[in-house]
Amino acid sequence: MKKFNDVCIIDDDHIFIYGIKRLFKEVNFGNDILVYLNGKEALNGLRLHLEAGKKLPSIIFLDLNMPIMNGWDFLDDFCKIDASELNDTLVYIISSSVDPRDLVRIKSYPIVKDYILKPVTANDLEAIQKEKVT
Amino acid sequence: MESLVISSFIKDYPASVVIVNREMQIIDHSKLWLKELQNITQSPIGHPIDDLINHTSEEFSKCCEECLLGGEITKVIQKLNNPEENTQWLEWTISPWKENPGKIKGLIIIKNDITETKKKEELLLKAKSIARIGGWEVDLVTNTIYWTQVTKEIHEVPMDFIPNLEEGINFYKEGVDRNKITSLVSDAIKDGVPWDTELRIVTAKGKELWVRAKGEVEIVDNTVVRLYGTFQDIDEKKRVELKYEEVSDRLLIATKVSSIGIWDYDMVENTLVWDDNMYGLYGVKKEDFSGVVEAWESSVHPEDIKPAQEKLELAIKGEIEFNTEFRVIWPNGEIRYIKAIGHVIRDSKGNAVKMIGANWDFSRDKKAEKKLKNLLDITSKQNNSLMNFAHIVSHNLRSHSSNLSMLTGFFAEEKDNEEKERLIKMLCEASESLDETVQHLTEVVQVKTDAIDKMRPVNLYETILGVKKNLAVLLKEKNTTCKIDVSKNLQINAIPAYMDSILLNLFTNSLKYSSPKRPLIIEISAQRKGPHIKVNFSDNGLGIDLDRHGGKIFGMYKTFHKHEDAKGIGLFITKNQIESMNGKIAVDSQVDKGAKFQLFLEAIDN
Repeated sequence: MKKFNDVCIIDDDHIFIYGIKRLFKEVNFGNDILVYLNGKEALNGLRLHLEAGKKLPSIIFLDLNMPIMNGWDFLDDFCKIDASELNDTLVYIISSSVDPRDLVRIKSYPIVKDYILKPVTANDLEAIQKEKVT
Repeated sequence: MESLVISSFIKDYPASVVIVNREMQIIDHSKLWLKELQNITQSPIGHPIDDLINHTSEEFSKCCEECLLGGEITKVIQKLNNPEENTQWLEWTISPWKENPGKIKGLIIIKNDITETKKKEELLLKAKSIARIGGWEVDLVTNTIYWTQVTKEIHEVPMDFIPNLEEGINFYKEGVDRNKITSLVSDAIKDGVPWDTELRIVTAKGKELWVRAKGEVEIVDNTVVRLYGTFQDIDEKKRVELKYEEVSDRLLIATKVSSIGIWDYDMVENTLVWDDNMYGLYGVKKEDFSGVVEAWESSVHPEDIKPAQEKLELAIKGEIEFNTEFRVIWPNGEIRYIKAIGHVIRDSKGNAVKMIGANWDFSRDKKAEKKLKNLLDITSKQNNSLMNFAHIVSHNLRSHSSNLSMLTGFFAEEKDNEEKERLIKMLCEASESLDETVQHLTEVVQVKTDAIDKMRPVNLYETILGVKKNLAVLLKEKNTTCKIDVSKNLQINAIPAYMDSILLNLFTNSLKYSSPKRPLIIEISAQRKGPHIKVNFSDNGLGIDLDRHGGKIFGMYKTFHKHEDAKGIGLFITKNQIESMNGKIAVDSQVDKGAKFQLFLEAIDN
């Protein structure tokens, strides 16, 4: 099983954050975990990250419905980051939405690897680990 | 001497007269006779008459011979077909003259040109035949009947048919028609009363025909001795007339029952005529107006007069078919919707000469249409928002339920008591959030389609004051200044509970997102804008970045401030409530300057 170095979670729901962190520990998913409560915070945080000369996280779990800046707005701005700095970053959308319009819209962002419907399970995380290895 | 006198008498006789001897040689003539003969250079005296008149007929010669042999005065009518001139009719009167009693010495021949009379007679005959007018006569003394050719034709009997009075009457249709003619004829015989009537006969071939029968009486010594008159086939005309009567009777009933008004505009005479239904449609009395145009202009809604007149002009020009609608205001103030159609009648040159049209009241349709449109509007909006709603419901419920299932999963496996306690806390939190979400959703569901029925006049100023009073503590806490510039008697058509909820929402919004840098100022003003009351609700708070959020500000669960209370459902409900009251809401804002909401609500005229 692959262990990721930097994992980023962008979600305003602290119960979800607690849960996914617990699952990370369970399946030994990642070392450093960055948490942002909305898109705006995430953009600012990641920008500071780059300015400090650090690499972007290799995997981002992104929620869609958040206050201040939602997942879509985050994606729009995030895509503007220079490709050379993207560092093979993969974005996974994690949402409770089953709106087909959301699923269609996701396809227009190549950076989005997959869509995971809440609740996230250990199996979901293990599947990501396996995929990344092969 | 005597012969000379006679001779000179004949010379000046004011007719065409010629006197011949037994050998048919001319012995004298009137000047007129000579004048009518052309190409005569010498005196015709002594010449045979045949030399001078080359067009005498055989009948004429025969009559002359008979007359010389002792016949009576005879008249011969002769038709001359002159190839170059018109047909000429001559009437010859031939009479013998005697010198000694009994001895015929020759003939006096008088020529008379009767072309004019003859032509008139021919014309009359022709006219009678074309008009199918026949004649008849009943001699009451001999009890014989005479029918002319046309009369026989109308009865479809052979030309040699000779009827009697009873047979003649029996041609009339049994029943009303025969009874009528019987009584007319008997009255005529009894009292000498003439008649003129239209009745049906059944011809010899069984055909039913309408005829006009006229009868006159001839009275001798106070007794009617003869009946005579005309008999005309008026079947075609009568049937058209009856058909027309039937159609117009039907039309009259139809228009009366359906309250369709008919109007008739004669452009040549410049007159407009209305039937009685028209006045009914406009709720006015005929006698209250000097003319139809005046009645129309004073009844139609002032805004609709010009467009209707323009349509009329275009129709007269032939550019459109006249088909329009307008409102009329009844004397009691009621507004009715009138549909008007018309047809332009043109002369052979295409000039409009007349217009005929109809009006009817379609207020009921219009009302139904309005209601339907309104319903459709609400339904499609509702449908749209329901669609969003369903997804939002699913999203929000899911996010809580997934948390709950995740937490209970952890709880089942957790051994550490401290961690278990943390999980229980979170479980409580998640179930509370779920409950809160369900409450919000219930609020949204309560914005129903039948909201319109609950609308009533609401005093805006008092409603604002009421809401402000409820929030007095919170407003004071933030040191808020409220500037309310709303007329005290301004009425809006609204659902009172919704108005409270909307204003409460706007106030709490301003309170929640006030700027920490300055004391809060809320300004509310209202003014009339067309059919709406426009309410401005503005604050000097944090404001909203509209470039970023403009499109989603009234969506569900969208918040734009980093604020723990910001659940984002308030404006969604506000918008739904306003729209269900036929209103609109718009927002204008600048970050860190404040937000300004504009509400458009249904006005009520005081």
